[in-house]
Amino acid sequence: MKFPNNRFSSGRSPGDLCGHTRREFLWQTGAGFTSLGLIDTLTRDGFFDKLDRKSGGEGGPLAPKAPHHAPKAKACIFLFMYGGPSHVDTFDYKPKLYPLDGKTIDIKTKGRGGSKAKGRVVGPKWKFKQYGECGKYVSDLFPHVGRYVDDMAFVHSMYADSPLHGSAMLMMNSGRIFSGAPCLGSWVNYGLGTENQNLPGFVVMLDKSGGPISGAKNWHSGYMPAVYQGTVLRPSGEPILDLNVPDGMSDREQRRLLDALKEQNEAHLSSRSDDSDLAARIQSYELAYRMQSHAPEAIDIANEDQSTKDLYGIDDPKTEDFGRKCLLARRMVERGVRFIQIYSGGNHNDHNWDAHGDLEDNHNKHAGATDKPIAGLLADLKQRGLLDSTIVVWGGEFGRQPTAEYAKGTGRDHNSAGFTMWLAGGGIKKGVSIGTTDELGNEAVEKPMHVKHLHATILHQMGLDPNRLSYFHAGLAQRLVGTEGAKPISDLIA
Amino acid sequence: MLRGLLICSLPALLASTAGAQESKPVESDWWAYQPVVRPAVPVLENMSWVRSPIDAFILAGLEAKGLQPAPPADRHALLRRVTYDLTGLPPTQTEIDAFIADESPDAYAKVLDRLLASQQYGVKWAQHWLDLVRYAETEGYERDNKKPFVWRYRDWVVDALNADMPYGDFVTKQLAGDELPDAKVADHIATGFFRLGTWDDEPTDRPQHLYDDYDGMADTTARGMLAISMGCARCHDHKKDPLPHRDYHSFLSFFENVAPYDMRAREMPLDGAKVQYDEAMKAYRASRGVVQEKLKLRAREADRAALELASSGIPSKVTASPHVASYSGDEASPTELLDAYGNNGTVHGQVVQVDGKRGQALRFDGDDHCRIPRIVENSFTVSFFVRTKQRGNGQSGDTRWFTGTGLVDGEVPGIVDDWGISWHSDGIISAGTGKPEKFVASGPGYNDGEWHHVAFTRDQESGRIVLYVDGQLVGEARGSKRSLNSPEDIVIGRMRPGGAGFKGDIDELSFYKAALTQPQVIALSCDAAHGIFAAPFFAEETLVNELNALRSPKIETVQVLAVLERGRDAPDAFIRLRGNVHAKGEQVPVGVPEMLGEPRLAPFEKLEHSSGRRLALASWIVRPDNRLTWRVIANRLWQHHFGRGIVSSSNDFGVLGTRPTHPKLLDWLACEVVEQGSSLKAMHRVMMMSSTYRMSSQASEKGLAEDPLNDSFWRFNRRRLTAEEVRDSILTANGTINLELGGPSVYPPLPRAVLLTASRPDAAWGQSNARQAARRSIYIHVKRSLPEPLLAAFDRADTDASCPVRFATVQPTQALSMINGDFANLQAQRFADRLMLEQKDMASRLHRALQLVSQREPTKVDLQRLQQLAGELQGEFGRSELQALQRCCLVLLNCNEFLFID
Repeated sequence: MKFPNNRFSSGRSPGDLCGHTRREFLWQTGAGFTSLGLIDTLTRDGFFDKLDRKSGGEGGPLAPKAPHHAPKAKACIFLFMYGGPSHVDTFDYKPKLYPLDGKTIDIKTKGRGGSKAKGRVVGPKWKFKQYGECGKYVSDLFPHVGRYVDDMAFVHSMYADSPLHGSAMLMMNSGRIFSGAPCLGSWVNYGLGTENQNLPGFVVMLDKSGGPISGAKNWHSGYMPAVYQGTVLRPSGEPILDLNVPDGMSDREQRRLLDALKEQNEAHLSSRSDDSDLAARIQSYELAYRMQSHAPEAIDIANEDQSTKDLYGIDDPKTEDFGRKCLLARRMVERGVRFIQIYSGGNHNDHNWDAHGDLEDNHNKHAGATDKPIAGLLADLKQRGLLDSTIVVWGGEFGRQPTAEYAKGTGRDHNSAGFTMWLAGGGIKKGVSIGTTDELGNEAVEKPMHVKHLHATILHQMGLDPNRLSYFHAGLAQRLVGTEGAKPISDLIA
Repeated sequence: MLRGLLICSLPALLASTAGAQESKPVESDWWAYQPVVRPAVPVLENMSWVRSPIDAFILAGLEAKGLQPAPPADRHALLRRVTYDLTGLPPTQTEIDAFIADESPDAYAKVLDRLLASQQYGVKWAQHWLDLVRYAETEGYERDNKKPFVWRYRDWVVDALNADMPYGDFVTKQLAGDELPDAKVADHIATGFFRLGTWDDEPTDRPQHLYDDYDGMADTTARGMLAISMGCARCHDHKKDPLPHRDYHSFLSFFENVAPYDMRAREMPLDGAKVQYDEAMKAYRASRGVVQEKLKLRAREADRAALELASSGIPSKVTASPHVASYSGDEASPTELLDAYGNNGTVHGQVVQVDGKRGQALRFDGDDHCRIPRIVENSFTVSFFVRTKQRGNGQSGDTRWFTGTGLVDGEVPGIVDDWGISWHSDGIISAGTGKPEKFVASGPGYNDGEWHHVAFTRDQESGRIVLYVDGQLVGEARGSKRSLNSPEDIVIGRMRPGGAGFKGDIDELSFYKAALTQPQVIALSCDAAHGIFAAPFFAEETLVNELNALRSPKIETVQVLAVLERGRDAPDAFIRLRGNVHAKGEQVPVGVPEMLGEPRLAPFEKLEHSSGRRLALASWIVRPDNRLTWRVIANRLWQHHFGRGIVSSSNDFGVLGTRPTHPKLLDWLACEVVEQGSSLKAMHRVMMMSSTYRMSSQASEKGLAEDPLNDSFWRFNRRRLTAEEVRDSILTANGTINLELGGPSVYPPLPRAVLLTASRPDAAWGQSNARQAARRSIYIHVKRSLPEPLLAAFDRADTDASCPVRFATVQPTQALSMINGDFANLQAQRFADRLMLEQKDMASRLHRALQLVSQREPTKVDLQRLQQLAGELQGEFGRSELQALQRCCLVLLNCNEFLFID
């Protein structure tokens, strides 16, 4: 297989603003060109780093690659609250908002309902309590998560480019409001490869009600090869598409078929032995065969003890689904999976956090299904010593407005001008809060942080320099954080 | 946020404004920007290998490196190669046998002729083009809606290639088919090229989004047709190519008059349909005239009888009339619309009086309307005369009344108890009732400037609704039996909720509290003096039948997703600082990049409906002396025949691209394309007849040592099948492939697990029957948010940007789908079924199976290996003969030999 490691851009020398070299995309233009040992040439050319060379025949696109710098986090679990959770009802405490409930005030908002200059305030529907030594205020929606505030870092001053789901989802996942760019998980796998070749390096677990809008675009590898895209992992049954041996076929029988295939392919290869693609394809069946035993093992929680299951709320129907996914996320981390994304919410409307109608009903449902599992995940990672090397991220594509969307009801419209995300583990500071929104939670005012800063922070913690990790495409050195770059949020880094 | 800001570096942003001010001439000595000059063909000592000038160029290069060309490929390998290259399918056994047996010197040339004449050629080569132009059938983003009728563009590409449309025309029609004199429907369809990109129907910044769409058009044109990578220059001067910021914006201006994509198709008369229609309309009017004469006679009789009755002094027997409102339009009032029964309405805007059908009529100018109380709700008739030459809102493919221009309307949004009558598209009258929605509509052509009588009746008990025009029954349906009481009032001359108003005259608007009979309606349409009481004079069955039999002709139309400009006057073009549409810089002329030297863009003029800019661009691109066009297409043809382009970065001939390995050969080919009248089929022959194409893919030690990348083409490049070829070959092996061409895309079944990744799992994908599901892969619906998993696994192009070269990855998910997937297992089963039917015993079945996947004669060892497997499966694993065969077939479909072409 001929794969690039074009992630090391040649730097940002003034004469080379697009920041790439001819070599970096040589592989790309030749990528459709299957018949040559291009890998050798490029290796000689110093194109692949030493790990690539060491990995030999089983190397390829997902072979482990050396990071840019010593990583704090080996893995990332991204808990995606699709639809946009309300920050002022969860983690961004705004006492001034309560007495304004029902009052129409002058306030500039932009959401699904367009730009408005006035709005009817919806007071937060839950009380806030202080938790932990840091005394962080958390709403009654997250009593379990509240217990871990001393391990968490909140960014209250997040903002994004779009207050509309379609483009906002793309931005949170791929850094741009345009379709066609690789997702964060793809960048991580492209940059670092995967530790465990028997499992995918980037897995996505979707909500029972369906995927998020734009479906596969949310875990797509865009202009990179499909090998970097997320693999949808199902928490029960067949964990990965086409992983199970067909009905009625035994494992032994399949092994016999694969042996016959190997024989046939090796006979074919004997007169074409210079072709590394043919050899790689023979290998790929062995890899697939190994995945068949490893992936089901990874999702089999039968051997987890009861106290662990209780931690995630697996025996409670309300939390069972998300709890199981969180537990699987921990198991994936243990098995060397780099990037795990779990969706809370799917489909449309109130199947996710998009509370346009009845805020209480919506958020009680979704927080109720996730609070205990998330707390369980943090506790479990911590007790196993994995939290230090795993970065957990929580948030949606945006937050919600302090004001109502409609004349009646408690529903809030989208808000990308200010919202909260939190991180924990993986070398992130503990018990801190960074940035603020205004006193009504409408707009980021202090230390505004763009989505790309969040992305930069995650990459940085995983050992990648967000401004060096690039991929040459369409005449440009593309970066997750944009060509103009973005610095990690230094206040977050321990 | 702007795309520009995301892709450009900050220092460049700062530099960009300064760069934009200067306009020094741009010069370049880069090879691709120089004129194409036909190079001399090398003369070599040993010309025995040289069949064509291509070989001379290649051999000269090899000799310089001390390399020998590989020996010729054997006939099996060669036939397999050419058949896949030209059709994307393997050769049949008959074709193999014929070629092996054909000892004539032109045996190979005949094969090429046969394949180039095959319709499957267009299917294969269309996909190469579709990759370049980002062909997909949905918009992307939140709703990922379908692009209506986009498949006609795909079919156009297939047809154009099959017809060997000269490449110059192929490009011109896509860029400016609509601007060609006497443009045919197909020429409009070709401009679907402009509607293929992603489109956010809910953008956060609408002007910027529109501008981004133009950028997508410009980018696809520049890369696809000229191999120029302009991205950098959107925000600042290109850092490597002599492509200043201003040149990007000059180039962008070719597209800036394109009307925004509104996710709709346009309805267009079929070629020649207008002429036919006009003739049929003439004939129809004549026969309608005859019937109308008869009706006039009856009307005169009725009026005479009425007069006699009145003068005789005998009182009328009829006293109870269902007549409940009458707006004759005769009484003038600027604010009130007067009803003889007192249900007065209000006038909004300037409704004026003009001479009417009887007395005065109301004239509406499009900005005004009247409102009247909702007088009727159960059984009723609305009767009036209407006159206009205008078209109505809506498209004749969708004549639901509320998509038209309101005449007498009670529309309430949503599925509710409402009703209305509208003036629709090509002079159609449409009416309907809500909940459930039922519609009736007339034929087109009533916009002839004459008075026409309209009556709409509704009977609550039966739910029957009927529309009459000029007394003729033109439509009937069964609708709701509920009280139609949703509208608070009724609007005349506009849709009740708003929108564009009616331009024309309305007279004698009357309401009746009953569904009138047709004779009563005819009486009204003839304006009989006693109104509906004259009905007995029009009750004769033969006359009514004659009237109803009149059918206005329908113009034959087709729905087309095509480009449209906003008019003849295109906006001035400006530099947009940092690519931000809101940051206008200096004005720039419409133009092509200066670095390309002569020829410059020729002066052009506005056309009837458009700016003429795109046609000017197309004419420049296809000029024989264009420096890039012909090199670019020659290189693409080479790429798809030889595994890589002479310039391997086939979308970028600029400084950031790769240099040609054989620049002279490329120029020779470019000249040849022009020479051959830009016939692609001629160019396939030129390339495929060469010894270079006919070489074996076998390696030589020396070749591997000296030139491992095969830069010099010392052997043929082995390749993996493309995603589409993998699937199509499986269906060919088992004999189920459906080679039908064209039409709406199909939906082979997707695993439930894949559907569950969509936000609406149950509405994400369609259904096709087994025969349609076995169509060639190019006909599978291309949904941006839900890629077909097998095709995606085998590196189908991502459709969000122009894709010049596909990846050819090897990954375990491919193996999983091919050994465990539903599709692979089902197709292996069909493969086995076929073999069971066609051959009599296991040995011959396996023999045939091997032939079908490899297109060669199986060796004894191959056969033994398979037979042993089949034997074990039947013995040790207890499988039936059919099951064992199915598993052998599955193994064969996974073989490298099946998936790779030597």
